[in-house]
Amino acid sequence: MGSTGTTETIHSSVIEFAPYIVFLPMIAFPIILLFGRLFNGNKVWVSTFKEGGIFALVTMATSLLLALLLIKDYIGAYGDDSKSALHVFDWFSSAMWNGGATTTEISFGFGLYIDHITVMLLFIASFLCLLINTFAIGYMNTDPINDNRNHRFYAEFVLFCAGMLGMILADSFLWLFIFWELMGLCSYLLIGFYYERPSAAYAAKKAFLTTRVGDVFLMVGLAMLWHLFGSLDYAVVFDSDNIAAVDPASLQWALGMMFIGAVGKSAQFPLHVWLPDAMEGPTPVSALIHAATMVNAGLYLVARMFPFFGAEAMHGELVDLAFIIASIGGITAVMAASIAFVQMDLKKVLAYSTMSQLAYIFTGLGCALWLANSLDWHHDDDAHYIVIIAFGAALFHLFNHAMAKGMLFMASGAVIHEVHHAHHHLHHDDHHHTPKELYMLSDYLASKKLSTFEFFKTIDLDGSGEIDMFEFQTALKNTEVADLPPWEMGDLMKAVDLDGNGTINVPELDIVLAKIKGKTYEEHEHDHHHDDHFDAQSMENMGGLASKMPITATAMLVGSLSIMGFPLIGGFWSKEGIIANAWRVGLEDPRFFFPAACVLLGAAMTGFYMSRMWLKTFAGSPNNEVAAHVGPTNTWIKIPLFTLTFVTLGGILFAGMGFTHWAPDSGYALMSEKGLFEGIGYELGHAFANHDMFFFTLTYIAIFLGAIVGPGLALSLYGGALDEGETAKPWFTPILMLNAAIKGRYSWDNSAFATSSLSRALQNRLYFDHYYDMAMLKIVAAFSLKAAHADSKFIDGAIKTIESTSQSASTSLRKLTTGSARDYILMAAVGTLMLFALIWGVMA
Amino acid sequence: MIDPSWVSGLAALLFIIGLAGAFTRKNAIIVLMCIELMLNAANLQFAAAAVHHGDTTGWVYTLFAIAIAASEVAIGLAIFLAMYGKHESITLDDVNVLKN
Repeated sequence: MGSTGTTETIHSSVIEFAPYIVFLPMIAFPIILLFGRLFNGNKVWVSTFKEGGIFALVTMATSLLLALLLIKDYIGAYGDDSKSALHVFDWFSSAMWNGGATTTEISFGFGLYIDHITVMLLFIASFLCLLINTFAIGYMNTDPINDNRNHRFYAEFVLFCAGMLGMILADSFLWLFIFWELMGLCSYLLIGFYYERPSAAYAAKKAFLTTRVGDVFLMVGLAMLWHLFGSLDYAVVFDSDNIAAVDPASLQWALGMMFIGAVGKSAQFPLHVWLPDAMEGPTPVSALIHAATMVNAGLYLVARMFPFFGAEAMHGELVDLAFIIASIGGITAVMAASIAFVQMDLKKVLAYSTMSQLAYIFTGLGCALWLANSLDWHHDDDAHYIVIIAFGAALFHLFNHAMAKGMLFMASGAVIHEVHHAHHHLHHDDHHHTPKELYMLSDYLASKKLSTFEFFKTIDLDGSGEIDMFEFQTALKNTEVADLPPWEMGDLMKAVDLDGNGTINVPELDIVLAKIKGKTYEEHEHDHHHDDHFDAQSMENMGGLASKMPITATAMLVGSLSIMGFPLIGGFWSKEGIIANAWRVGLEDPRFFFPAACVLLGAAMTGFYMSRMWLKTFAGSPNNEVAAHVGPTNTWIKIPLFTLTFVTLGGILFAGMGFTHWAPDSGYALMSEKGLFEGIGYELGHAFANHDMFFFTLTYIAIFLGAIVGPGLALSLYGGALDEGETAKPWFTPILMLNAAIKGRYSWDNSAFATSSLSRALQNRLYFDHYYDMAMLKIVAAFSLKAAHADSKFIDGAIKTIESTSQSASTSLRKLTTGSARDYILMAAVGTLMLFALIWGVMA
Repeated sequence: MIDPSWVSGLAALLFIIGLAGAFTRKNAIIVLMCIELMLNAANLQFAAAAVHHGDTTGWVYTLFAIAIAASEVAIGLAIFLAMYGKHESITLDDVNVLKN
């Protein structure tokens, strides 16, 4: 937008290819959808192309490759301010009347804006999209419930990726918003992937509408920003001269409105209610959208506000907004963590954990923005370092959290997948789901008194003795049993085609029809479902899986430790930074003691609920027969788990390279000041042997809470040693031994808490849904009823009165038309006479 | 010379007889005749006025009215024929398709 002042410092030729990072997945979307329709059920399409999964994989791999080429340039670059912009295309331009006799030309175009924040998020998004795509092939394509509709999943998946990557690369707030909404749409579609399930359809609607509340505010904020700057281009709005020209109070309102949008997207209090329900979607969706990428969009938006807060002209003017951002983070961190305490659903624990960790990042960003706004960091080198590092800590936590949480969700998906399979294996070995249409066909044959053989002869048009899907489809249509599109014939074919050769013959049809003869669909499905209340996501059905799923258990362990902030592992470096900075700000501005205390308390809570989750799932003895029969996962699922385990463990390498300094500062290159080992040494010394007594103590308090108190409580309550004869990988042994020892010695009775009203409140998610529903019922529904009443009473009433009056008037008038000619003559005569009398009277 | 007021009175009388007949009679032909009577009452008035004022305009109107009356009777009788074909009656009370 606003082509004014767009400087195009093309950094290297690589940037020329950067638009394809977004375009490729966008093009893949219709292709996968179209091919999926055309080749639905086709063997090659299903087994070789994984119903479009391979297309998506290739697309995402290409996007990642292009992104990596771009990132390579930015990692090596320093000295100059390595921000790049690329104008990709003009969208439209229009003349705007500016109040006088002249008009101003405004043009809207699409371009890329690349700095270190972009590059960091670009890596997170494209890397995780590829890994989760790999995971999805192993997860979605092996579950029969998804057969013949996975192409829809992959199409929506790549469209989502296009939205995310586009939002990151966009060069204006307008395009950020457009891609933001695209993600919202895909999120809706993907959560509702199992749309036949009412809970999934409800969750999809809830997610869409809740985020829409935030989006309306975001739109208002953008309109205000437009009003202030006359453009939404980053190049224009981040210009320090332009910022100096606007009114700080108005800018604070505009940014505040935009922040509400971020609150909705990142599921923060009070717009957090959609995220736990969004777990209705398939697990790869939970991993991709609701942990690793989309929820980071809100954080990205707030991080993008940094230039406003950092501008000299705004010095000290925006601290209130910074405090609000940090407080929302603080409240959500504690609230979500406390709800996570009591969740039994594996994915819901992770969902609340996501909310809590995103809240940490919001707190970190709020503190960084406060520092940027109140310190004189443009001239004071020490202050500059403090601001950059505070901002970097928040961004680094974003990075660590995305990697760890993406992995945790995939690992949870692997567990659920295998538990589900084990359950299926145990209880439904001989059960074949019989589609409703076959019952209808059976009824039809019974009513026509046709035998299977006679019926078969009539539908086997070419007389080959075998009928294929299309002949079967035509037959069902002709007999008026069912009119199904080809892509819904798959289930039916599978149910009848017992030998799996793709065609049906007489014995097959006879066997299947004999099995259901005289039964109704409802009866049979009832038989099938009465034992199907098994919940594969509940931790009640797990336990002791460490020996059965070593890679998943390891991934889950590393991810959990990273989220907990266990020393030396990924999230530790960033989480300590956030806590330290919150307290640093708290010392300067007493209001910040609130978020600072929240994040410190949250550290202990994180330690507890993450340990609880791991122990309940992987340690102790299996809770039931199903958990005892779980097997290892397939390779597609193992690859991303394996990769991300190392990325998460490698947190210290990133820290050592100066990631926290690099991410927010476009003029800084990785390892430009210290070598890798020197950097690691510096980070270790900084973290564990800080010269400042206050921060030294704070670090150890945080470690004590997050790595000892929280996990210690969990160890004393849950888990235990594995069953006799079960052997786990050697690295689990110390944990399991510690677990058994602590549980054996310090185990305590927490049933008093479990039955308390607090526990009940937490189980009901602190009644947020309840109160929101009630507010809707009391305010919106009551208002709607009043409005409906007013509508029917006054508006409709007025119209109806006019209508009924004219109708009754015309009915009585109609009586005058007797149909008799003589009456008409009389009327004409009387009328004329009266007319004459009138004229006479006037004349006289 | 007869006083014009007598002629006017006769014309008015004829007109009222015609009007009353048109209101009250059921037979369509009689109603038609009554209408003719009213027209002729008007003609009579025209003729009397023309004589009285020595102006030929009245005669011209009379001639026109007679010509129109003739054509009107032709149309009227045609309508009655059609009516009879459809309703087998030319009693006006039987024909009330426009009622209500």
